[in-house]
Amino acid sequence: MTINAEVVLFAVLALGAVVGALLTISRPNPVTAVMSLVGTFFALAGLYATLDAHFLTVLQILVYAGAIMVLFIFVVMILNREEVSLVSWKGFFIRALGAIAVGYVVVMSVQVVLYSRDTAVLHASTSNPPAGYGTVATVGASLFRDFVFPFEAISLLLMVAIVGGLILSRSHHQTEMAEERARHVDEIRHKAGPAVKLLPGGGRVVEGEDGDAEDASEDEHGHTAHAGH
Amino acid sequence: MPIYPYIALSFVLFLIGTVGVLARRNAIIVLMSIELQLNAGNLAFLAFARALGDVKGHVFAFFVIALAAAEAAVGLAILVGIFRTRQTVNLDELTLMKR
Repeated sequence: MTINAEVVLFAVLALGAVVGALLTISRPNPVTAVMSLVGTFFALAGLYATLDAHFLTVLQILVYAGAIMVLFIFVVMILNREEVSLVSWKGFFIRALGAIAVGYVVVMSVQVVLYSRDTAVLHASTSNPPAGYGTVATVGASLFRDFVFPFEAISLLLMVAIVGGLILSRSHHQTEMAEERARHVDEIRHKAGPAVKLLPGGGRVVEGEDGDAEDASEDEHGHTAHAGH
Repeated sequence: MPIYPYIALSFVLFLIGTVGVLARRNAIIVLMSIELQLNAGNLAFLAFARALGDVKGHVFAFFVIALAAAEAAVGLAILVGIFRTRQTVNLDELTLMKR
């Protein structure tokens, strides 16, 4: 491999990504870890750019380094606690499983990097991309032509994630408040009797004064209201 | 430049993510390590897509990013809920579902 600008750029970005990843898993302070992960994601965005994936580069910065990492920062700020034990290897089962998993990945990577790096796909040159490769137009065309149903499934997944996140992060206090409010409204309704109608905002409309309300609730308790007069 | 350095880098990042998931006890760091693994997968997708001259790999990387966003949202909401009731996010202390 000759040393040229492309190789140097790859080396710098790869080094940045690996160092950021190592800092992420080794720092005791979660804020430092999040910042290192943001650095890793920026380096990866640069690597995507060297692979002519322009659309994915922008998405990586906007969604990963932007949105997801802001979410992580928020949660770290909420849950910031001193970590007692950085790592722990409790249990033989977990230890054995971890060793097997790491060993498998190491063996596979060594196999790919050392023994099969001359296969045609892995040795394909990255110098001449097809016209329009990796732009929003071509990726979008493939997305909406070949992957319409997976795309819709992903949008459904995001919808479920929004609802799930809302329900999970709803605090116990808020739930109690809502129950209290509902109980209060029920109490008022019970005391006031059927002649009084509650509006959603908490205001009350007494039938007889408001013609529309009387018409609307004629079937339910119109007779009682008239009997009172 | 051939793509095998990209694949090697993807393996290294995935390995670091795996070590983070298995070794760290802070649940937030574990979620971040999972993000790292997903990004390593994305890098491999894009490298192979580049080698084959096909943008389908880009579409899959796009799906992975959407999936990671959903996973982070729900996972962090679960963490906040756990912290609210148990006052900890240490995975060694969260053993309610054992036995």
